[in-house]
Amino acid sequence: MPPSSRTLESPGRRRFLAGLGGLSLVLGLGLRPSSVVANLSPERLRRSMQAQYGERGMASLEAWFALLDRLRPADLETRLREVNAFFNRRVRWLDDIDIWGQEDYWATPLETLGRGQGDCEDFSIAKYITLKELGVPGDELRMIYVRARIGRSGITQAHMVLGYYETPAADPLVLDNLVPSITRGSLRDDLDPLFSFNSSGLWAGGSTRSRADPVARLSRWRRVIGRMQEQGFIQGG
Amino acid sequence: MSLIKQLWLTIVVLLLLAFGGSLFIGVSSSRAYIEQEVRIKNADNANALALTMSQMPKDPVTLELLVAAQFDTGHYRRVELRDPQGEIIEQRRAGEAIEDVPAWFVELVRFEVPPGQAVVQDGWRQFGTLTLESQHSFAYRSLWRSSLELVGWFALAAALSLLLAWWIVRTIRRPLRNVVEQALHIGERRFTTIPAPRTRELREVVVAMNQLSAAVRDMLGEESQKLDLLRRRLQHDSVTGVLKREAFLAQLQIHLESQDSRASGTLALVRLARLAEVNELLGHGDTDTLLHALANGLDQFGKVRGGGVVGRLNGSDFALLLPGAHDLEQLRHELGKRLASLSDQSRVPLGLPAALVDYAQGDQRSVLLASLDGALSAAETRGDQSLVIAQGPQRRSLFTSHGAWRRALQEAMAKGIYLAHYPVLDGKGELLHFESPSRLRLNSEWQPAGVFMPWISRLELDSQLDLAVIDEAVRDITQRGKPLGINLSAASIQDARFVMELQARLRARPDVAKRLWLEIPESLAIHDLASFRSLCHALQPLGCRIGLEHVGAEFTRIADLQDLGLAYLKIDRTLIKEVDKIAEQQTILRGMATLCHSLGILAIGEGVENREEARMLFELGLDGATGPGIRQHDKSAG
Repeated sequence: MPPSSRTLESPGRRRFLAGLGGLSLVLGLGLRPSSVVANLSPERLRRSMQAQYGERGMASLEAWFALLDRLRPADLETRLREVNAFFNRRVRWLDDIDIWGQEDYWATPLETLGRGQGDCEDFSIAKYITLKELGVPGDELRMIYVRARIGRSGITQAHMVLGYYETPAADPLVLDNLVPSITRGSLRDDLDPLFSFNSSGLWAGGSTRSRADPVARLSRWRRVIGRMQEQGFIQGG
Repeated sequence: MSLIKQLWLTIVVLLLLAFGGSLFIGVSSSRAYIEQEVRIKNADNANALALTMSQMPKDPVTLELLVAAQFDTGHYRRVELRDPQGEIIEQRRAGEAIEDVPAWFVELVRFEVPPGQAVVQDGWRQFGTLTLESQHSFAYRSLWRSSLELVGWFALAAALSLLLAWWIVRTIRRPLRNVVEQALHIGERRFTTIPAPRTRELREVVVAMNQLSAAVRDMLGEESQKLDLLRRRLQHDSVTGVLKREAFLAQLQIHLESQDSRASGTLALVRLARLAEVNELLGHGDTDTLLHALANGLDQFGKVRGGGVVGRLNGSDFALLLPGAHDLEQLRHELGKRLASLSDQSRVPLGLPAALVDYAQGDQRSVLLASLDGALSAAETRGDQSLVIAQGPQRRSLFTSHGAWRRALQEAMAKGIYLAHYPVLDGKGELLHFESPSRLRLNSEWQPAGVFMPWISRLELDSQLDLAVIDEAVRDITQRGKPLGINLSAASIQDARFVMELQARLRARPDVAKRLWLEIPESLAIHDLASFRSLCHALQPLGCRIGLEHVGAEFTRIADLQDLGLAYLKIDRTLIKEVDKIAEQQTILRGMATLCHSLGILAIGEGVENREEARMLFELGLDGATGPGIRQHDKSAG
C-alpha cells in the first residue's frame, strides 16, 4: 500500500489557516479526530532513524520495510512466524537498565531496531506494531504479563510476551523472544500469565489526541504510543 | 443610524461576543477536562479491577463479591463483566442522579466518556471483558455552578465595560455634538467658533470651520468699519468725533418721542469758555486735541451710564444726553469731578461751566435747550468750574411720590396691559410683525410707555412689566394669530429669573414662540453683551426671533454679534430720516442691508415718515419698514 503522501509544505498559508481554524473549531466543539490509524509514514520513520541512529539503524529499518512488503501478501501463520523471527533475530535481549539506564523503559520499534537491543516489552511492542501494520486486527493481539521460569532452575522473572487470539476465548499463540518458535500458551509450562492488555483497553476511544495531551505522559503505554507518533509509526492525531 | 448608535451597537456586540465566547470556551474546556478525568478514572479502575479478578478464583461468588465491592464503595454508574461471547456474567448499574441542574444544560453539555474496558485473564484464556463507567452526574452540577459563577462575573465585567464605554462615548459625543452644532450654525449663516476638541479628526474639522468663521468675522469687521466711517463722516464732528449738531438734535428728538425708558433722563450742556483765548494760547492743533479730550471724556461719562449720547452743538458747546438718569444732584457732582480732572490736565487754565436739566417724554426740544442756555450763562458768570441745575419745563406729573407711582403701576399691571399695534411691513406690503409698545391705565387713562417707562426703570419693575407684556402678547397672538414684536428692557435680560420664566412660557407655547419677535436696544445689548448672549442661547432654541432696535452707532459691533443668530436689526431713524434725499445715507443703508443679508439677518428701517422714504429703503434692499409713514393699507390690523 503506497503511503498517502501528505506533505505539510504544499498547502498554501490560507489553507493552512483554514485548517487550523477548522481544527480549533473541532477541538472547541469537543469533537475528536477519528481514531488513530496505525498507518506508518516511511519518510518520517527514515528521517527519525537517520537522525537518531544513523546508517546502522537505517539498515535495520530498511530490512523492516522489506519484511513488511514481503509479508503483506502472506497468510497469517507466516506473518506471525516471520515477524517473531525477525525481531528475535535482529534484536539482542537485554535488560532495560543496561540499554536505557533506567528500569523498565518502553521503547518504540524504531528505538529497538536502531539499537538492535531491547527487553521483553520492547520485543512485544515491536511485534505488536508490526503485525498491526500488516493488517492483523488489534483486538486479536494482546500483550501479556507473564511470570517466566528460566531454565530448569526455580528462578522466576517478570516477562512479557505477545499473544495472538483467534477468538477472545481461544488459547493464544505466544510470540516470545526467549523461544524462537511460536507455541500455544497452554503448552508453555514455563510461563505463568498474569494480565493482558492491548491498545483498546488503555488507549480507548482513540484518545491519543495529541502529543500535547498531558494525560498521554502519565501512562507508559501511552507514552510509547506518543513517541511512535512522533517517529512516524502512527499517523493522524 | 447615527454614529453614536453604531458605536454603541459595536460595543454591545463586541461585549456579547467576548463574553459569550469566553463563557463558551470556559464551559467547553471544563467539560473537556472533566471528560478526561473521568476517562482516566474509568480506564484505571477497569484495569485495576480486571487485574485483581485475573488473580482470583473465577467462581461466581467471588466475581460477584468483587464487582459488588468495587461498585458499592466507589462512584460508578455501571460495572459489568461479560464473557468473550458477550453474555453478562455480573452486572451492577445505577441511575443518573442529576439534581438541581436544568435539563437543557445537561442536554447541552452531555459528557461523552467512553467506559473503561479491561480483559480479565484466566490463565492464557480471556475470561471476560470488564466494562466500567463512573458516575459523573456530579460533574453536571459543578459545571452548572461554575457556569453560573462565570455568568455572574461576566455580568459584572460587562457592567463595568459598559460604564467605561459610556464614559468613552460621552467624551466622543460631546465634542461631536458641538461640531454638528457649529456646522448647523454656519448653515444658518451664524459664524460661530468653538474650542477645538481633543479628538484629532474632529479637531481638524473644527479648526477649519473656526478659520472660516474667523475669516467671515474679519470680513464683517472690515465691511462694517467702512460703513461706520461713512456714517461718522455724515453724522459726526470731524474734530471731536462726537455727533454733529443736527444729528444730536435728531437723537434728542427721538428720545423725547420715545416709547421706552429713554423717554426721560438728563440733558447736560458743557461749554469750553473763552475758546478764542485758549486757541491763541495753545495754537490750533493743541486746541483741537483739547476739544477732542473734552468730547471723549463726556462720551465716556455717558457710556459708563449706558446709552449716553454726546454732540457738539457749536464750536465750544457740547451736549450730553443721559437717558434714564434722574438724580440731578448726583450727576452734577460726578460731572463736576470729571470736568475738574479734565481742566487739571490742561496746560492753560480752563473754564468748563456746565448746566443740567431733566427731560421727560413730550418736552419741547427748544424749551429744554433754551433753559439750558440760560443756566449755562449764569454758571459762566458764577465761575469757571460751576455747574448749575436748570429749571426744566413745567410738567404735570401723574403722581407725586415714589410710593404712589409704585402702587399705581402695580395696580395697572394687575388690571392688564394694552398692547398697541404698529405694523412693520416688507417691500410688498406684507406684515412682518406688529410693533407693540405697551400702554398702562394710569389715573383712568391709557398712558403711552414714554410716560411710565422711566418710572418702571426707577422702581425696578422692569422684569415684572416685561413678563406682564409677554403674557399679554401670548394672549394676543393666540387670539389674532399675528406676529408681535416686544421690547425687553436691559434690567430684564440681566435678570436670570426673568429669562427662566420667559423660557418656561415660550416652551409651553411653541406656536406662540414662533410668532414672537423680541427686541433689545442696540446700545444695551452692546453694553451688557454677556447677558444678551445668554438670552439668545436660552430663547433661540424655542423658535422665537431676537433682534436689535435703534441700530446705528454701534453697527461695527455686528461682527461680535453675528454668531448669536440674530433674526433682524431695526436701523435707527437718524439713518432713515430723509434717506430719499441724502446720497451718503443711501450708501450706508445699502451696505448695511447687504451685510445683514450675508448673515441671514433682516434689515428693517425705523421711523419712516413718508412713502418716499419707504420706497427708497426697499430700493436699497431693506427688508422691512416701520414708522408713522407706514400704514397697513390693504389689510386690517386684526
